Amino acid sequence: MAVHAESNPPVVAAAEASVLMFLVAGKQLAVDMDRVQQILEYQPPTRTPRRPSSVEGIIRHKGRYLPVVSLRRRLGVEEPGPASSAILLLSGIGQDPLVGLTVDQVLRVLSLQPDKLPPPPPRVFGIRVEFIRGVVNAGGRPVVWLDVVKLLTSAEPITLLA
Amino acid sequence: MERLTPAKRRVGARAEGPAVREKFLLFRVGDEIYGMGLRGLREVLLSDGVSSLPAPPYQVCVALAYRGRKLPVICMRALFEVPPAGAAGTERVLLTQGRGRPLGLLVDEVLEMAEVDPARITPLPALATLLDPACFRGLFARQDRIILLVNEDGLGGFDEVVQFYAAGA
Repeated sequence: MAVHAESNPPVVAAAEASVLMFLVAGKQLAVDMDRVQQILEYQPPTRTPRRPSSVEGIIRHKGRYLPVVSLRRRLGVEEPGPASSAILLLSGIGQDPLVGLTVDQVLRVLSLQPDKLPPPPPRVFGIRVEFIRGVVNAGGRPVVWLDVVKLLTSAEPITLLA
Repeated sequence: MERLTPAKRRVGARAEGPAVREKFLLFRVGDEIYGMGLRGLREVLLSDGVSSLPAPPYQVCVALAYRGRKLPVICMRALFEVPPAGAAGTERVLLTQGRGRPLGLLVDEVLEMAEVDPARITPLPALATLLDPACFRGLFARQDRIILLVNEDGLGGFDEVVQFYAAGA
């Protein structure tokens, strides 16, 4: 199954932003919806030699070859994710036109007003503020809106807190 | 407009010519399959002539005794950071040329030959590896597998190979 994010864009006011909310190791996280080109069912990537620790390998999608980054590994989570995880295809990350990002489970799309978000604390779930665009509340639980470009182009180690 | 008869169509098709396909030798390192161009390949040898080199400086290179000479051989498992495995008896040395000098690649197993249209060969994504991109010619898909093609000239410029020749080993 492939969910085309472009085919059903959410209707938002000019001052609002849409974020895609998902789970990684039980934590609610989110990325800008603008960067999400597609959501794919997980497929095991071909492992590439001497790859960065968070890179799982490469997959082929519609004739293109895309690197796949494990968000679990990027956040320092050792335990493997669920078998039925998803791959978000993100644009505008580093040198590759599209990068796959594995997450445990896609939850929903949220609309929010970035200007009205309070400044995030120095760390949330162990993630430094440098990698956070904001923290919102959904269902009484925090959702960390990630600066996914900084997160995936930085080599700084992160340890997601339990 | 002139209509093409079947005979003319055949001539036209011949004039365009079939896509020129390049031959690659496919080999295994760990669980993944890689390929190398056949043009530079000189011999495929058993790995029993291989001996280790002092580490440091050599972490990835070993030496091959070949017709009274010592030649540098890149242990592809070490280069690709694939955990070492016990000898299976299928290991081979692919003797090729890198930057005009003999170079061996120690692989886990030689598999088969493949013919590929060069237009199907795509550069590796930037995030795919920390190795010098010059080590790879590109990649292509075959029967649902993605196969990375090594570049012998790029591997011939690998520090330890350069050092091997500089030391006159």
